[in-house]
Amino acid sequence: MTFLLDIFGFLSVLLSGFTRSAQSFYLGSICFLFLVVMPFQGELGPIGQRIASGTRRIALYSVTIMMAFLAASLWAHTVILAGTTDGSYLNALGGSYASAQLIRLAAATLAMALLARGGRLGMLVPLLGAIDLAAGIATSHAAARLDNQIILFTATALHHLGAAVWIGGLPAFLFALNTLSHGPGLARVGMRFSMLSLLSVLAIAASGILMLVFYVGSMEAMYGTAYGMMLGTKTILFFSLLGLGAFNARTVRQLSRGANASVLRLKRFVEVEIGIGITVLFVAASITSLPPAIDLVEGRATLSDIVERLEPKWPMLTSPDKDSLAFYEAQRQASEAQASDMLDHQQVYVPGSGVPLPRNAKDIAWSEYNHHWSGIVVLLIGVLALLERSGRAPWARHWPLLFVALAGFLFLRSEAEGWPFGSISLGASLRDPEFVQHKIFMALLISFAGFEWSVRTGVLTRPWARYVFPLLSAVGGMMLLTHSHSIANVKELLLIEMTHMPIAIFGIWAAWSRWLEMRLDGTARNVCGWRWPSFFCAVGAILILYREI
Amino acid sequence: MAPGLLCSEQPTRRHLGATNILNKFHNFLRLLALCGLLGGLPGPALAHAIIVAAQPAAGTTVTGPDVDVVFTFNVRIDGARSKLILTGPDGGTSEIVLTPNPSPAILAGRLTGLVAGAYSIRWQVLATDGHITRGDVPFVVAP
Repeated sequence: MTFLLDIFGFLSVLLSGFTRSAQSFYLGSICFLFLVVMPFQGELGPIGQRIASGTRRIALYSVTIMMAFLAASLWAHTVILAGTTDGSYLNALGGSYASAQLIRLAAATLAMALLARGGRLGMLVPLLGAIDLAAGIATSHAAARLDNQIILFTATALHHLGAAVWIGGLPAFLFALNTLSHGPGLARVGMRFSMLSLLSVLAIAASGILMLVFYVGSMEAMYGTAYGMMLGTKTILFFSLLGLGAFNARTVRQLSRGANASVLRLKRFVEVEIGIGITVLFVAASITSLPPAIDLVEGRATLSDIVERLEPKWPMLTSPDKDSLAFYEAQRQASEAQASDMLDHQQVYVPGSGVPLPRNAKDIAWSEYNHHWSGIVVLLIGVLALLERSGRAPWARHWPLLFVALAGFLFLRSEAEGWPFGSISLGASLRDPEFVQHKIFMALLISFAGFEWSVRTGVLTRPWARYVFPLLSAVGGMMLLTHSHSIANVKELLLIEMTHMPIAIFGIWAAWSRWLEMRLDGTARNVCGWRWPSFFCAVGAILILYREI
Repeated sequence: MAPGLLCSEQPTRRHLGATNILNKFHNFLRLLALCGLLGGLPGPALAHAIIVAAQPAAGTTVTGPDVDVVFTFNVRIDGARSKLILTGPDGGTSEIVLTPNPSPAILAGRLTGLVAGAYSIRWQVLATDGHITRGDVPFVVAP
């Protein structure tokens, strides 16, 4: 079980991201129901009833999904903790984290029953939501801090509540927009939700600043640690959401004045807000697995380290020999030593043992070669997509096939030591989060490339098929924000991973631009149509300039 | 989760006094500006709980045969669900009996009868927010 600790760390980030997203939608729908729909229900008449009923259904689905992920998280936590300590499941369930999760499960079960049943007891659901929020905060960073816990608990509560009301309320708002379609009812609901969202943004910003002060504390910690840089990523995505939110707020105000405004654009921007909002919640989950920047004093990257690493260098287009990698060299030395001592053969790297993979200059060259060729392929994809967009090169529509080639290249090259071409078995390789993440990326690449190529060549004509590419691209970008490398040196790790942030952000922007291209009309559609291939070109350029030394 | 964030001799966790809080607020505008410009990484590559002070410190040589072990973490630790394992020069392992926590961030124990050689302590802790983290602190017992 000890060997599964690393993969458990990765799994717990994913489960936490799903739980946070479902919690936000659950709490957000409840807030929308009680603070936006119910005050207008009389005025809106039967349509109001329909919106209330739809919102309750969204809350019900969300709390059910949240329960499933909570149960999975608690199960994984209990099994891994019992398996790596005294073997007692009861003891593992006795900690404060497990107790908080059990409370959340109990409250969610009751909420699910009340939401499914309807009736007057449904008025208790906000109370159950508050219990969930409080118990969730008991498993946040604030719960483990040694000082200023009251301030940090308050800030975290505000942060989570703000995210729930704003991002979590969006699916219910979208449902209301689709139900009302136009008229004064739409403007009134829109104005009220807009006001709540504005208050939520203020709560998120104020609590975020407080947490920035107590968890980061200095400029050096901000740019020199994984926590700080991850926070930067979250902030950039937050500003993307704010931009969309500002457009929507303006549209809602125009509608309330009776002016002409595009309800279609309002709906489409809300769809994108939901997508980017989920990504932000996953980033938040990923941040909780990192030590707060203020604590990580050793091994920070300096500004000059970062600037030096960003200096452009000619791409590495030839690969070192696999046998020259540190793992195989160490393996050879160990075999020779063991042969002379007549000892049993031992692997020099055991995935999940807690000891990182050995690395030398050839490993760096191997990795840079992989990134640089990947960059060339992605840049080519962007250029071909732009050519296709120009309408002058219809043959360029086959660009998705290059993603399949890229997946094949990664399959051959990404794990020199692991399955299928390395000496580490598939079972052992699966204990390494980096290996698992690379294989997930390959599956995503092949899936979205296959769908997109089939759509562009007319093989697949179902309307839903064209949405697979942007949705899976967005998932890929999100997954990149949980990407890790098995390297012991904290500073080197940070400098390597630093490059993944802009790639993930451009990937997410590209995915949602493509979504808008398909869902909007007019000039906005054209702009988005040119924008997403350009983001792919940017990703390609970053990969070509990627450096590990 | 990369293991073994090596420990420093001096405690590095910052205790927040009034002056410190003011200084932090003073810096926050600069930080905010920076937030918009930077971004970064991910991943569970670093673990949540880290050692901020260790006795014996990583990579040091100590005098045996008895050695006190005191690991101070950056966060509150659930001592009942955490453990320390000693690996000796012969590769054999044994669990270190933990003494009652003098502080919520400390794991402590006592090693007795150590012979000269290279040792390592593997720590695995459960932070009170539910994160499980591990690492190694290697040290040498002088002949």
